[in-house]
Amino acid sequence: MVDTNSVLGYATPLIVSPGERVRFHLSSRSMTECGVEVVRVRCGDPDPAGPGLRLHAMNSAVDGRRPLRFQPIRPGSFALVPNRLPFGTLSSFGFACFLWPTWPAKGESERGAIQTVAARVANGGAGWRLEIGPDARLRFVVAAAGGRTATAIAEEPLREREWVFVAARYDAGGAMLLDVVSLDPQAGRDATSSAGTSAPGGVIWSGSAPLTFGARQAGEERGRPVTADHFNGKIDRPRLVSAALPAGELRGLCEAVDPRPGDPRIVGAWDFAHGIGTDRVHDRSANRLDGQLHNLPARGATGANWDGSAVSWQARPEHYGAVHFHDDDMADAGWEPDFALEVPPDWPSGFYALRLTGTGAGGDPMDSFVGFFVRAPLGQARAPVAFVASTATFLAYANSALRLDQVHAESMLEGLMQLSRDDCYIAEHRELGLSTYDTHSDGSGWIYSTALRPILSMRPRANSFNYVNDTHVLDWLEEKGFAYDVIADDDIHREGAALLGQYRCVITGTHPEYYSREMCDAFDAYQRGGGRHMYLGGNGFYWRIAWNPALPSAIEVRRDVSGVRTWEGEPGEAHHSYTGEFAGLWRQNGRPPQRLVGVGFDAQVFDRSAWYRRLPESHDPRVAFIFEGVGADERIGDFGLRNGGAAGLEIDRAEPTLGSPPHLLRVATADRIGYGGLPSPEEFRTSHRGLDGEQNANVRADMVFFPTAAGGGVFATGSIAWACALSCRGYDNNVSRITENVLRRFLDPAPFAGF
Amino acid sequence: MLVNDPAAAHFEIDPDRTDLVEEFRRNPKGPHSDTLRKVLHRMRWSGEGGRFVLVTVEPGRRWVLGRLPERRGRPVELFHNQTFDDPADAEWHVFKVRWQAITGRAIAGGRSGEPD
Ligand SMILES: [Fe+2]
Repeated sequence: MVDTNSVLGYATPLIVSPGERVRFHLSSRSMTECGVEVVRVRCGDPDPAGPGLRLHAMNSAVDGRRPLRFQPIRPGSFALVPNRLPFGTLSSFGFACFLWPTWPAKGESERGAIQTVAARVANGGAGWRLEIGPDARLRFVVAAAGGRTATAIAEEPLREREWVFVAARYDAGGAMLLDVVSLDPQAGRDATSSAGTSAPGGVIWSGSAPLTFGARQAGEERGRPVTADHFNGKIDRPRLVSAALPAGELRGLCEAVDPRPGDPRIVGAWDFAHGIGTDRVHDRSANRLDGQLHNLPARGATGANWDGSAVSWQARPEHYGAVHFHDDDMADAGWEPDFALEVPPDWPSGFYALRLTGTGAGGDPMDSFVGFFVRAPLGQARAPVAFVASTATFLAYANSALRLDQVHAESMLEGLMQLSRDDCYIAEHRELGLSTYDTHSDGSGWIYSTALRPILSMRPRANSFNYVNDTHVLDWLEEKGFAYDVIADDDIHREGAALLGQYRCVITGTHPEYYSREMCDAFDAYQRGGGRHMYLGGNGFYWRIAWNPALPSAIEVRRDVSGVRTWEGEPGEAHHSYTGEFAGLWRQNGRPPQRLVGVGFDAQVFDRSAWYRRLPESHDPRVAFIFEGVGADERIGDFGLRNGGAAGLEIDRAEPTLGSPPHLLRVATADRIGYGGLPSPEEFRTSHRGLDGEQNANVRADMVFFPTAAGGGVFATGSIAWACALSCRGYDNNVSRITENVLRRFLDPAPFAGF
Repeated sequence: MLVNDPAAAHFEIDPDRTDLVEEFRRNPKGPHSDTLRKVLHRMRWSGEGGRFVLVTVEPGRRWVLGRLPERRGRPVELFHNQTFDDPADAEWHVFKVRWQAITGRAIAGGRSGEPD
């Protein structure tokens, strides 16, 4: 078994221009050195039924043997307010906030687990902490520097996903108090309790420790805080005051969405509704104790006062004063770079990887990769064709543990799952951070994904979805001798239509699923401006995403309302925190994929793939070019690497009511899908027993063409499996022929006549 | 929250329907009859008898039987003495284990009916 994980790493930036520098951040627990080689990826799929791994060695300046070291990943999000003047001068104090714990019973399954709500502890542990103990009860701990510790513990355990107001006070006279007040104390939900105890008097607080929310500081490493005992759940409107105020008074300070900065008792009054699109936390007190979020906890989260009167954080930000922390959030592994490569100016754009070889931990041969991309120099197209690296989709799927954590996969596949060594690695190494298909350890969905961590699913030998499937298009382009540039979603988002406009034909791959508004605009303008677009995939242009405005190669996905959702977002949280835009499907945002590319997602079919038959419109002389050399009754794509056909996995159909253009020609269809083909939820109004592909003609893949303005055109195949049939029979097959016919015609500037 | 409940698959499997066993033995990959589909859904969704998986040893050529952990963060258990060069054989093996777990009745033999 080939070892693909004994060395892992990531590249920064993920996408690099020729002449620029890319840094490689590597880590290994077991190996002290390995072989390193930069390769350009032609095919990343080791399946012996296909072309196999095809990697072109670049003989780069960094090739050779490289020493390795272990670099840890420390997951868990938190807010950190650096130490400031008022903290150390406090004597008595009070801390209060609203709290929505999402996994208070963590200590039951992970013995001894503690979850920190707020803390101010120095290295060595002296200070105070408000935390959920292993028994799900809230407790307030004061640890004096001399080792004297006192703890006040709430009587009732906290309930999962129930709001409580919590107030902890320390009186320098030698007492401490803890109050928990349920906001809905009925029908068995009441966790209200008060606890008090004596405490060491006159504690002198540290003059250097930071204040943290969602974790406690446990040390520092290379200038980065190391934290422990992370919290799962929401914290809303935390307040720190300079006296042991009664709980009722603290409640009033927390309820106030506009705290009075003139109140001299207020040390800090943090407003998480401020700067929702950023990773800063804002203090509205006169002390300006602003802080920083780490590892991207969820923002734009409903607070304890959210009442459904607004469902967007922009409409009523004061209802969105919560941050949802997770103990497994991971946005930046923070590894030191090991070495850097100056990408030579003459390197062609493409999918690239750093290949890492040696003998792995268990004695197996290691063949691990760090994926990255080289773009054509911006503004200098080097070929008439561009292939889009669907980096947003690659990020959305990064390190998915979906098949491990949820029970649907075997039923969906109608057979046993085939896991890779990477899946087995992720099963045990959740610190890598999961994908936007996954749920956090508290059951809530992952909404952010970044490239500042190893991504096992975006490299050669990865599980065969998106990235690896897309390399079958690259392989085919190389085989057929078409010169192409690779452009990435990141660049399309940033550079827009001008980037696409350099190319006579742009090809999107097997699964360009995640699109920002800017990316949709770019394709819309490109197509209207005479551009030609071949969409060789399925379930494309489906989810509306947002890109992090400050962090390169980082996206936000929110799965609410409808669509195939492997988790369902929280009510009221369907708007992106980065942009304020309504998230969800493009179909619900007035730009269904059918309007842009003629077809849109209708079904999943993971048990077997089907073939296309030609439809009468395929004999229209205006589209005769598509079927040159293909017989009238030929089965198209009754072969392929994905379940034996070219129409499969995820499939799209034309639908005039969703915007498929009047001039669209539906030239072929695969509509005999079988009972394993099941429509996506937005495709039916009510449930009934006739939904599956055996009975439902709307479970199908359509092959379509339509002309666009100014001589442009769009061709779509509506199936993820299409590209994985290109190489069959030595590339001599009708899937390959049709793809080639269309590409050659799309490269010919003559407009499409007769429409 | 919208969750996938493994206990939701509650189709009652008739232990006397050995015809369904034979149908699966002949054709593990399907398509299957209506009742066999329901039997398979019960087995695959509920994970009764074990949430089995295949782990690829050599892409497209050889797989080892595995079982998913009950809890997140734990390793996938591998049964190194159970390797397959045809996924259909693995389907049959797992079907037998689950049939016995659910009905209490053992099924003998390999896919072509010979003793295994
Ligand atoms: Fe997808």
